[in-house]
Amino acid sequence: MMKSLRTFIQIHKTVKQHATRFSAVVVILLFGLFLEAYMHDFNLVYITLFFVFAFAFTAGPMGVLNIGSIVTKFLKQGRFFAKEEGLIPLRLHNNAKTTAWAIDVFYINEYSLETSLPLEKIEVERSVTLQLPYVPAKRGFFSYKGCYLESKYPLSTARLTKTVEDEFQGLAYPQPKGRSLSSFLHEEESHYGEEKEFDGLRVYDGSQKLSHIHWASVVKGEISVKMFIKEHQTPQLLFHFTHAGSDDEARLSQLCLWALSCEKSHLSFEIQMPDKRLSTKRESIDEILSYLAKY
Amino acid sequence: MRFLATLQNIKLSSLSFSSLRLLDLAYVIVLLPLLLMLKVPMLVFVVLVLSLLFFSSRPAKSWLIFLVFILGILAIYLSLYGAFSFRGLSRLKLFLELLIYILIVVVSMQRLTREINIYLLLSPFFFLALSLFFFHGMFMLAYVVFEVFFLLWMILSHRMQGNIIEGFRASMVMFMYSLPWVVVLFIFFPRISFEHASYGFKGETVQRMGHDGTMYLDNKALLVPSDRIVMEVGFKKEIPASHLLYFRGSILYSDKKNHWDPIPSFVKRKQNTVIPKTNAQSVQYNVTLYPTQKKWLYLMDIPSQAVKESTLDRDFISTVKNKIREPIHYAASSTLATKFYDDVDAYTLKVSSKILDKHNPKTYEEALKIKESHPTKKAKAKALIKFFQRQNLTYTLKPEALDINHTTDSFLFEKKRGYCVHFASSFVTMARMIGIPSRIVTGYKGDVSNGLKNYLAIKEKDAHAWAELYIDKHWVRYETTSTASHIETQNQNSQNNATDKKETSPLIKKINLYLMYAKYQVETWILYYSNIRQKQLLQYAKDNPQFIFIFMSSFIFLLITSFMFISYFRRKTYSNKTLEAIAPLLNILKTKGYVRREDETLHMYFLRYCEANLNKHEAISKIRELDTRYEQLVYAENISASELKAFKKLVKQATKFKMY
Repeated sequence: MMKSLRTFIQIHKTVKQHATRFSAVVVILLFGLFLEAYMHDFNLVYITLFFVFAFAFTAGPMGVLNIGSIVTKFLKQGRFFAKEEGLIPLRLHNNAKTTAWAIDVFYINEYSLETSLPLEKIEVERSVTLQLPYVPAKRGFFSYKGCYLESKYPLSTARLTKTVEDEFQGLAYPQPKGRSLSSFLHEEESHYGEEKEFDGLRVYDGSQKLSHIHWASVVKGEISVKMFIKEHQTPQLLFHFTHAGSDDEARLSQLCLWALSCEKSHLSFEIQMPDKRLSTKRESIDEILSYLAKY
Repeated sequence: MRFLATLQNIKLSSLSFSSLRLLDLAYVIVLLPLLLMLKVPMLVFVVLVLSLLFFSSRPAKSWLIFLVFILGILAIYLSLYGAFSFRGLSRLKLFLELLIYILIVVVSMQRLTREINIYLLLSPFFFLALSLFFFHGMFMLAYVVFEVFFLLWMILSHRMQGNIIEGFRASMVMFMYSLPWVVVLFIFFPRISFEHASYGFKGETVQRMGHDGTMYLDNKALLVPSDRIVMEVGFKKEIPASHLLYFRGSILYSDKKNHWDPIPSFVKRKQNTVIPKTNAQSVQYNVTLYPTQKKWLYLMDIPSQAVKESTLDRDFISTVKNKIREPIHYAASSTLATKFYDDVDAYTLKVSSKILDKHNPKTYEEALKIKESHPTKKAKAKALIKFFQRQNLTYTLKPEALDINHTTDSFLFEKKRGYCVHFASSFVTMARMIGIPSRIVTGYKGDVSNGLKNYLAIKEKDAHAWAELYIDKHWVRYETTSTASHIETQNQNSQNNATDKKETSPLIKKINLYLMYAKYQVETWILYYSNIRQKQLLQYAKDNPQFIFIFMSSFIFLLITSFMFISYFRRKTYSNKTLEAIAPLLNILKTKGYVRREDETLHMYFLRYCEANLNKHEAISKIRELDTRYEQLVYAENISASELKAFKKLVKQATKFKMY
């Protein structure tokens, strides 16, 4: 009993109560019933009055237990890029013995407006993960706070809010933009690799390099590409920070775009930064992107 | 058949109602009692609106809503036809009736649009509050509690996306949390006012019956008095028999055709009355008199002495200086005699002999016959009673209106239906015609059926009138209603010669008595509970300390019962019965620190436990056995009740094992 009371007090401290327009309705209803009860003198009116009062009174603790038992936590997942929408995962876990009802999650959306996500229910000892859209303003560390839960359960006579105390600490990578990787590869073709031991022709399907097109077959009306037994790729793609753009931000954005494209194409690469050489052989893509973000 | 098949296929757990449906259900419940008071045109209007809602699922067009508005106004007009006028609005109940009608029309119009707005949401509460003006019996008490619960259920179901099963569970929890509060508030904050409000209206009290010092015979006397308690009497010993429970109010001498008046207060008369020293029973009693806004203190016939701060006049009428506006308590004693000596002065004799013979010629003619054929006053009085008995009169609370110019003739020879005032008035009129000075006594006549042990409640409907005839220098009481040959009322006085009494079995009588007792207790402790009753309760607790223990035990019992209900309805629900059966074991393992992960099957969970506790061989074997049995049951197509029972038994055995 005492333990339950202690738990309730702890929960109660985390929840704030605000009046709603139905709070005013209850007050007017109580006042009207009181007038009717006092002047009309029938105990039935008093009983109704006391029931309304008791319901309004018990609605508070019930609502507090409903929302207060929800434990919220931001999950450390997802990549964020400057000026691009990312999703912050928020996990809501119901610790109570009963299902939590009618909870709205309020957050600041990508247009800096307060928006809500309604949740019908969270069952006992179950979790729900929400993806809250967020656009970091610039690269580097950012924190996300100000998210809160709201519920008018059970009677709408009070609006209960619980702030999500957890703070999401994220790192926004540079905004990936600039020339595409294929454009870079075309420019850097001589460095891309060398082909030896011609092995025949195959039909061009649009994915091959232009240099592999067998122009003689084009003259005959067919588009074929040359095949080689050995295609020696350049062992490592190398991106130079200094050559990547006109200013630091443009360079970082460019390098970020190339790094992501390489990841997509399963290509290993290196980035020559002014003071460090980053390599996919030593660092993961996220570590490389983090370095760029923090630069 | 198709409907039944559909019903069978409904899964209760997925029963979900839209907000409009929930609102409709709320309206059905709150309007039910009000339907009992709606006039036929308004009922027809309600049926029409229901039909429109039933046969069309689309929002009504504006012309239809306008038509409903016109029909609503017409229904209101027809319902209040004759009763309605701006003067009529000064009567509270008529005003409330009009308010209900307007609310019904407005709500109907809004409901037809199929859009929920604030007053459509709030109107069920208005209807509930308005119905409390019209009904206040024991059944209404039960219905109000049900209504309050039902409205709560609908609100919570709405909050839970129309899930009425979950809504019911939550509303039961909330209701049971609230119940002890309601009980405490009710006990500690009883009503403190006793007069029904007029709210600035003329109110219903203007024509309320009960004793008020004047006795009307015209249509003002046609109203039936209420169950409201006027006073409570606590006798030192047991309650005397019903035929002795006369509480004297006022004495009426002057026949004013449509009513009887007392002797004006400016007439001074000498005190010549003496209570006879007979073997008549003497009683002592305490009275709690609730505010009557009148000056009379009601004492049993015949009072032995004046109550302090009151005056007892020569007719044994007890009055106080100021009107009784607050409940007062007084102790009194009386001699239960039916007659007393009085050396009547000339004025009193004159007014108690005055007759208006021309107004009732038939009565006068019959009176002369009795007067001539009987020499003594005693014999004349006896003959008068016999005459009344021969007239085949009916005691009824709903008599037809008498011809006000010939009230006694009209009552005795034409209508022959009336209640105490008609009997007493006619009896006194005829007694005077015969030559016996007589007068009407008004007050209250108690009914032992409103009593328990030594406690007697006197209600407004116990207001009574009887006659006193002056025979041989004594005023002798005559119960005039006892001359009735038939009774047409629920509240029968035992002395009447009722002819239609049916034999009832002792068992039914006993059940009826218990029901009456329960009703009495509910009315006494709930419907008529007041701060006076609270004081009595506190006094009783002071006098009987064991009562405090009983009271506290009862309250603790209520708390325990409430929490049992709360625990039951807050219990965790499971997706299947097998999982529910194994839940006690899962709870034990959870307390031991083995929390089941969200993505973990029960089998994986048990495996994890077994791997972590390789040395606990016995526990592992029990868990493996349960795991196997659980899998068999879960994947079986149908589980019989016996299989589930056997599984529960297995789980129970496993939970008793301490070595997890």
